[in-house]
Amino acid sequence: MNDSSENLSDQVAAFQKIWTEAFSRMAQSAFAFSPDSAPPELMRQIRSGIFQALAQSWDEYLRSPQFLEAMKQWMDNAMMFRKVTNDFFTKARHETQDIAREDIDSMMLAVRHMEKRILDRLESLSARVDELTQAKPNGPVGGAARRRATAARRQAAAAQGSRKPSRPSQTKNPL
Amino acid sequence: MNEETTLSSGYPWVKWQQAWLDEGLAQTRRMLHLPLVWNRAQRIKKGATPSEVIYEEDRLKLLHYRDSEPPRYRTPLLFVYALVNRPYILDLKPGRSVVANFVNRGFDTYLVDWGVPTHADRHLTLDDYINGYLVNVVDYLCERTGLPQINILGYCMGGTMSAMFTALHPKRLKNLLLLAAGIDFATRDGLLNLWTRSEYFDVDKFIEAFGICPAEFLQASFLLLNPVQNLLEKPINFYQNADNEQYLDDFLTTEMWLNDNIPVAGEVFREFVKYLYQQNLLTQNRMPVGKHIVNLRNITCPIMNIMARNDDLVPCAQSTTFNDLVSSKDRQSIIFPAGHIGLAIGSKAQKEVWPQVCDWLAKRS
Repeated sequence: MNDSSENLSDQVAAFQKIWTEAFSRMAQSAFAFSPDSAPPELMRQIRSGIFQALAQSWDEYLRSPQFLEAMKQWMDNAMMFRKVTNDFFTKARHETQDIAREDIDSMMLAVRHMEKRILDRLESLSARVDELTQAKPNGPVGGAARRRATAARRQAAAAQGSRKPSRPSQTKNPL
Repeated sequence: MNEETTLSSGYPWVKWQQAWLDEGLAQTRRMLHLPLVWNRAQRIKKGATPSEVIYEEDRLKLLHYRDSEPPRYRTPLLFVYALVNRPYILDLKPGRSVVANFVNRGFDTYLVDWGVPTHADRHLTLDDYINGYLVNVVDYLCERTGLPQINILGYCMGGTMSAMFTALHPKRLKNLLLLAAGIDFATRDGLLNLWTRSEYFDVDKFIEAFGICPAEFLQASFLLLNPVQNLLEKPINFYQNADNEQYLDDFLTTEMWLNDNIPVAGEVFREFVKYLYQQNLLTQNRMPVGKHIVNLRNITCPIMNIMARNDDLVPCAQSTTFNDLVSSKDRQSIIFPAGHIGLAIGSKAQKEVWPQVCDWLAKRS
């Protein structure tokens, strides 16, 4: 017998073990009743016992290597299917001289990179201005004046009833 | 001793017959109520406390909760909810609202609604949310109130993000409250921690294929955390209480929220899974957020860490270590016997946890 079939039989054995134990626990719960209870109450107790046993077995199963392997396989297939579908639609749109989602994604990414470069540049410029302001003899006064001006601008914007984002909008696009 | 008691104690079948009869009547009542459930579900409202949108940026909305009286405590309290699901769970309905607890106690209360991301938002990162949107919201609140600091209460993933924000901007926070927030992802108690292990889940391939993390994928994962309860016990309990007005109202409101899932921006999902679930970088003070590295030791403000003992989404073990990882001297924990959602909206939590948390915050605001 080769490795893969041994592995498969181990997995099947482990899978059977979990569920055999589950059914045994459920059967135990079903027959553990007290004759004093009225039938509807008894039914509820049995049901609760069965659910408890089932929940325990499911939790065990969801943690088992068998489930994790199956989940991985399923996810890989889903991702593969999605990728094939994406590629197919991209190709179909390109063939008809149309714009595909991939093109929009690339454009969005380019905009984000550009935005990042501009913000980084602004940050370094701001740091330099701060350094220069500090280096001046009347630096702190200049800094305070700048802060006052910024606060005044923000108050004016708030008074208008709507606040403008203080960073470039990333979702205000035609998509 | 009357005749009925004698019969009941002497012959159990009399008692059994009575029980069957009662059960039959109850079944009839439930069956008659079922057609009315749909109508009732249509009338369910989102949110309990009056609010207004005071700030908007892209998809984000900042809500301010109104009260008839002016706030007793000046420092504003900002609720930061997760990027999965909708934030109205924090203000679900009268008597089940975390927000209402704080508003009624006189806190100036705000909530961040991140909005619903689309495919166009797939490139948004944790840096955009934390150092972009959240910083702007805090700036706006400080400007509005004229105070240099605010209080933040972060729930679930919002709690993790709030902890990162506090570590990156420690001077902006007066008090930090975390509610079922994942911090230490090394634990294997939770199924999500197991399922997202790198050998079973390739998050890079997933985001490359899907762009954003679909809402249906998240909902299926959450349902699978406790399949017997979610798929068997819950419908049976619902049917058994179909004639109980109070139960129906609570059930329908909670279910409406549970099924109101939203997708998550792809890059944020990738960062969250890769850096937290798979590499657990936050507890090692190596978590990158844009150009910055989050160092939890930078957190010095008072901490209140609220956890749910029976949480299957964010197990207690994921949050308990937080208090030891920060430099704050004033830190407190509450571990309450409830689930992830019960901790916020459960009737016991409403009576026992939230008044205690309000007291804690009132002393420090």
